[in-house]
Amino acid sequence: MSCTKEKTNYLEETSREIPEVFDFQEASSMLVDRYRISIEALNGTFYTGYNELRVRITDTQTGETINPDSIQFIPISKIADGVVTSCPHLFQLQKSTQNAYWEGYSIFIDEQLPNPTWKLYVNLVVGQQNYTATSDITTKEQLNKNLNKTLFRGNDSLDYMIALVSPRNPQVGTNPIIAGIFKRITTTHLAEFVPLSPSYYQYVAVNDHTLELDPRMPEPSMGNHSSPNNVNLSQRNDGFYEGVVNYTMTGNWTLNFILKDARNTIVKGNAVSTAFTPGVQGVKGELHIDILF
Amino acid sequence: MRLFISFLLILFVLSSSFAQTDTNHRDKVKTLEKVSIFKRKKKKLATDVKLTALVDELLGTSDNISFIKRGAYAWEPLLNNMTTERSVITVDGMHVFGACTDKMDPISSYMESNSISSIKINSGQHGNMQGATVAGSIDLQRISTPFGQDKAWSGSYQTGFEFNNNQTFNLGNISYSSAKFVADGSVGYRKAGNYTDGSGNEINHSQYSKFNTSLGLAYKTSELSSIKVDAIFDQANNVGFPALPMDLWLSRAIITAASYQQQFETGLLRVWDTKAYFNAIEHYMDDTNRPENLVHMDMPGWSTTYGLTSRVELKQGSYQGELQLNAYDNLSIAEMTMYPQDRSERTMFAYTWPWVTTRYAGVSSSNTWNLSPISEVNIGASVGTHYNYARYSEFNRIFYPEASESKTRFLPSLNARYQLSLDKFRILLGTGFGQRAPSVSEGYGYYIYNSFDLYDYIGNPDLPNETSYEVNAAINYESEKWSISSQVNAFHIRNYIVGKILSIGSPMNYQSVGVKAYSALEYARLFNIAISGRYDILQHLHWKGTLTYARATDNNSVNLPFIRPLHYQSSLQFMHKKMGIQAAINGDLSQNNFSPEYGETPTQAYAVFDLSGDYTFNLGKHHLTVQVGIENMFDSFYTTYADWGNIPRMGRNVFTTLKTHF
Ligand SMILES: [Cu+2]
Repeated sequence: MSCTKEKTNYLEETSREIPEVFDFQEASSMLVDRYRISIEALNGTFYTGYNELRVRITDTQTGETINPDSIQFIPISKIADGVVTSCPHLFQLQKSTQNAYWEGYSIFIDEQLPNPTWKLYVNLVVGQQNYTATSDITTKEQLNKNLNKTLFRGNDSLDYMIALVSPRNPQVGTNPIIAGIFKRITTTHLAEFVPLSPSYYQYVAVNDHTLELDPRMPEPSMGNHSSPNNVNLSQRNDGFYEGVVNYTMTGNWTLNFILKDARNTIVKGNAVSTAFTPGVQGVKGELHIDILF
Repeated sequence: MRLFISFLLILFVLSSSFAQTDTNHRDKVKTLEKVSIFKRKKKKLATDVKLTALVDELLGTSDNISFIKRGAYAWEPLLNNMTTERSVITVDGMHVFGACTDKMDPISSYMESNSISSIKINSGQHGNMQGATVAGSIDLQRISTPFGQDKAWSGSYQTGFEFNNNQTFNLGNISYSSAKFVADGSVGYRKAGNYTDGSGNEINHSQYSKFNTSLGLAYKTSELSSIKVDAIFDQANNVGFPALPMDLWLSRAIITAASYQQQFETGLLRVWDTKAYFNAIEHYMDDTNRPENLVHMDMPGWSTTYGLTSRVELKQGSYQGELQLNAYDNLSIAEMTMYPQDRSERTMFAYTWPWVTTRYAGVSSSNTWNLSPISEVNIGASVGTHYNYARYSEFNRIFYPEASESKTRFLPSLNARYQLSLDKFRILLGTGFGQRAPSVSEGYGYYIYNSFDLYDYIGNPDLPNETSYEVNAAINYESEKWSISSQVNAFHIRNYIVGKILSIGSPMNYQSVGVKAYSALEYARLFNIAISGRYDILQHLHWKGTLTYARATDNNSVNLPFIRPLHYQSSLQFMHKKMGIQAAINGDLSQNNFSPEYGETPTQAYAVFDLSGDYTFNLGKHHLTVQVGIENMFDSFYTTYADWGNIPRMGRNVFTTLKTHF
């Protein structure tokens, strides 16, 4: 029997605000000597914010995929003549479990760049030999708000960044939430880029901190609604931070954070009001990221 | 699941092609009389003063029934002062489940007074034949014309107008009866505007309109067997619920059944009755007439049930028994979409019933032994398995991360009753034990806003079974001129399910002040007593009166909500030739044992007087009855303990009815 009003297609409903994601596709390639380096990203596009990357190396002479001894990766953006910067990324790529490709990530920040173009540097170590290649890339704005990020100055006067990594496609219910937390360190800007130099790791992972989480719906009609049973984010072995966020319904959510260091000192963030205030926009914390699904 | 449905469908098709219905009415009545074990309350379908009443008003004539009223329509029947989760409400033994998270649609709301012939109420565990219950069972029985009536065609028509809310109704019935074939149908339409309370204030959003039609076809396949198909269609449009923040835009039910009945003239097995059924309900709420609401919401709900019942009636010597199989599969879905103030922003979606499947299969039996000509003992038992599964259980896991994916419960029930008839006295003593599973809302409800206590309610899939221990007694004296009867029952209910404030979570509905979780109290105790009497003052002057009282507390001696204070009703009926006059008074004393913990405020005593007169005459070949009456004659302004949000009840109402039949 057909109904007067159709039931909501729940799958469609929860993915409505999430840009469609296809597979990993080549987003950039470079040639060095006999090797072709292919860098794959989702949809074949580099987005601002978090990008999971897969790197495959082919020997152009044999046409076969090869596994070098190691691969180093660094994205560089030119700020001014002679001044370059990097962004959070995985420097030593890691072999995927099936050895099919090499895994890495890059969290592009374009907001603070006068000229947001990037040059990717890849160095292969095959035998005793180093092969370094570069390519110019451009990034697109990430439209999936669930991969939003925030850049902020901590109470310790250092510049930090929190980037959401997962869930890319949140569900109503319990979602593991993963974020990268980085801090910017002052480095000497060498006029001439020297690959593999730690001088360019302007962003380093923040270790042993805690990211306290208070998700709320800012929409006035939701009156600062929150969800129960969330778990603060703590650091995993791979350096990323993981916790649990519960979304009670679809819509706009604000993840209010308090970043605390290992000694429990607040680096940034404040406790937000827990009052239920129907009709009034929820007041967001000084440290927060908005998401939407 | 799919297998189960196909199984049912096959049965459905089989029974519709082969099977069944009421065999010769006289046979059936005889059988019923013989096998009727429980005290079955067959209500004559009229109230003390009204010839043509709403189904709710008819239900209300039972001493065991009271109502939570959220407006003028679809009152929630409380059996033994317990809400509908605790009773089994069926239509001809078929399980039907409402599709509204806000209880706008008790099953009785899908019936019309001319589509039912009787209402069968069994108190407590004596109501376990249809499935697990605590409070008892209410079975609304559809009209059913016997085979081989003297008149092949018969019909009736009732129309009327009620002045308080400009209600008009038109109810028509027609039936055809031959030796082998029976058809009966009913059509009813009601429309009412807002009612006015005793202070002359119009109660906005109390209008309703309802269309109901039903059809039954029965064919006698042999001298002792018959097949029958039944369908009821009900549609309510534009129903206001003044006590709720939302109204009803449309609610629609289709209730269908195919059954086969076989009777046996000799042997232990006397009747075998099997029915396959299907019903579907859709329910769409509407808040667009409530501009005061801060948030616009869409809250549609759907409920679909497939079921099977099969029962046999047994008789041998001093033993008579009944054995019944019940199985059903229900899917309840309710959605909530909230619209942001800035409509260009993303709407917010959640399931309030996250596709909850309930599957029940159980066997019930009732056995009576006549110990002597004056005494009999009855022992009944039932066992059932109750299975729940939520397709989107992630909603429930937000509050209960460990909530099980599916839940199977085992629901036993036992009851015993001893009856002694001594001259004009009849004494009944009974006891019972039974369990029920949480309802869909109690188990899986998600942010269901309760406008009574202003909390959002969250279900808990792993709630324990509610377990009832019950004793009851009744004494009845009946003489030619007068009768008096009294019945008492007491329930000790372990794991009594109520809403308890939850320390986690924040409200979702903007009117809400917090979140409550359905939780099990250690126990609750309920006590009900009713005393009723009848006296034939003169041959044509009759008096009737009823007094009921109830008390209910939880394990901390805190009062439970919606418990009726001392209630009385009394009526006089005078008949002279073709004329009748009825006068009635009913009222409650003030509610002292109210429950602030559950959102109640005290209500004051009230009394309402009703008066009506009717006259029957012939117009040509037609037999006509007209009735004119007045309800709440003195225009009292009152609200009762069970009026949601203490909305005032209807003030003075003049009603008229014209009834004819052929
Ligand atoms: Cu409703």
